[in-house]
Amino acid sequence: MIEFQNVSKTYANGTKALKNVNLKVEKGEFVFIVGSSGAGKSTFLKLIMGEEKANSGEVIVNGKKLSSLRNRDIPYLRRTMGIVFQDFRLIDTMTVYENVAFAMHVVGASPKNIRKRVPYILGLVGLQNKAKCLPAELSGGERQRVGLARALVNNPTMIIADEPTGNIDPALSFEIVDLLSEINRRGTTILMVTHEHNLVKHFHRRVVQIHGGEVVADTMRKTAGTLGSNVRSSGEGTANENI
Amino acid sequence: MKIYNFCYLLKEGLRNLKGNRTMTIASVAVLVSCLILTGAATLFSFNIGLAMESIEGNNSVTVYLQEGMPTLESVQIGEQLRAIDNVAECEFVSKDDALESMMELLGDDGTVLEGLTGSENFLPDAYDISMKDLTQYDQTIADIKAVEGVDHITDYSDIANKLTQLDNLVTMVGFWVVLLLGVVSLFIIANTVRVTMYSRRMEISIMKSVGATNWFVRWPFIVEGVIIGLVAGIVASVLLFVLYNSVMQVISGIAAFFTPVPMTKLLLPYTIAFMLVGAAFGALGGAISIGKYLRKGGSDLVGI
Repeated sequence: MIEFQNVSKTYANGTKALKNVNLKVEKGEFVFIVGSSGAGKSTFLKLIMGEEKANSGEVIVNGKKLSSLRNRDIPYLRRTMGIVFQDFRLIDTMTVYENVAFAMHVVGASPKNIRKRVPYILGLVGLQNKAKCLPAELSGGERQRVGLARALVNNPTMIIADEPTGNIDPALSFEIVDLLSEINRRGTTILMVTHEHNLVKHFHRRVVQIHGGEVVADTMRKTAGTLGSNVRSSGEGTANENI
Repeated sequence: MKIYNFCYLLKEGLRNLKGNRTMTIASVAVLVSCLILTGAATLFSFNIGLAMESIEGNNSVTVYLQEGMPTLESVQIGEQLRAIDNVAECEFVSKDDALESMMELLGDDGTVLEGLTGSENFLPDAYDISMKDLTQYDQTIADIKAVEGVDHITDYSDIANKLTQLDNLVTMVGFWVVLLLGVVSLFIIANTVRVTMYSRRMEISIMKSVGATNWFVRWPFIVEGVIIGLVAGIVASVLLFVLYNSVMQVISGIAAFFTPVPMTKLLLPYTIAFMLVGAAFGALGGAISIGKYLRKGGSDLVGI
């Protein structure tokens, strides 16, 4: 699903963001990415989203080498991933429903599909009763669930969540990760960047620690066997279709 | 593009305009003045052209004979005039006919000339001459003047020259003014669209993050520009029509002989041309802004 082969990234201003990173995330995995700020987590995500290009090495997403991707192919790469932001990025003037529908509109979905799909996804994140609310009328946790619904609505094969719990009540953080777990159980790969150790400890998932542009720890290496089998039982084949 | 996508993008473009009213009105206003000036300059040119044509078109000069010329000699002069190579027609206008047509031209006031009929008539006999080939105008005039008994010729070449000079001046000044205003209106449209874009940067970043193509991001802003252009085109042609009619009424009052190009004939082509030009300007303005913005790439927009 996602593979980094000896990937290095140095920005034009000389910052060495990633140094020779090797990493492989299989379909259906749930991976926490931890590390202090400036460690290279953001660069890591940007490379996956095709927003930056590696200086050396190869990033492979969905079997495609991103180094050979043309600019106009990038939108189609993005459609395979749902992105969840720390600051939610909801449009204030749109209702919950419209915010989610917006993501479908802009990739050219038909109105019929949108009418069918949006209520279903809102139900999935438990917001079916808030469809007509504006973001301002929601709690932080609810807003992030809208963000999640929007990320999910185009049926991506992976969710990339950049500190999704960073701006919400710690108590509600668990709810969000529970929801992500549920989505993962249905077959979607999850990459979640986080600072919160509680969450990482509570949910026993693969943890990749980035420090100084290098992967310094990866629980996969220790428990590869068990995790691998978990993955296979939950996320193989076409499990993604039911989301 | 599918119909529902088209509708969606159109709707978004309209939403941009509503959210950004002051700048929209400013853009329309500048583009309207630009179009009106262009239109006025071209209309002026058309009319000058038409006036020149009517002067040259009947390619006739009037040859006045010396006063008190006996009829027989007049006829002989006519023969000589007809013998000149380039003369196509040569029609005798007696002084009585000339007086009559002058009285007609003056209408009710013509009665003041009634005392001048018969032997009191001060007008000379004349010949209306039309030429075969206008390029030999000067030569022919010289030939006519050489005929004995010819007093003078009404020569339109002076008027034609002056009109041409005026036309050139208006065209040149008009060109630069329109060019300047064109650049200004392009700049203002681009800025209007940029303001909308700035206020919608969150939406753009979301669009890019969920995988909207650059064209999908671009369209609503181009639609915004095009609508500004179309509205400006319509407003400009209506204003120009009103303006032209009132100016022409004044001119017709002063110079009865002058028949302007009727606006009813021009309204449709002008409106279409204005709308096309306006839309092209708007699209260009929109494209300039959004192009700059999209090139910035994702980092600034998605901001992870």
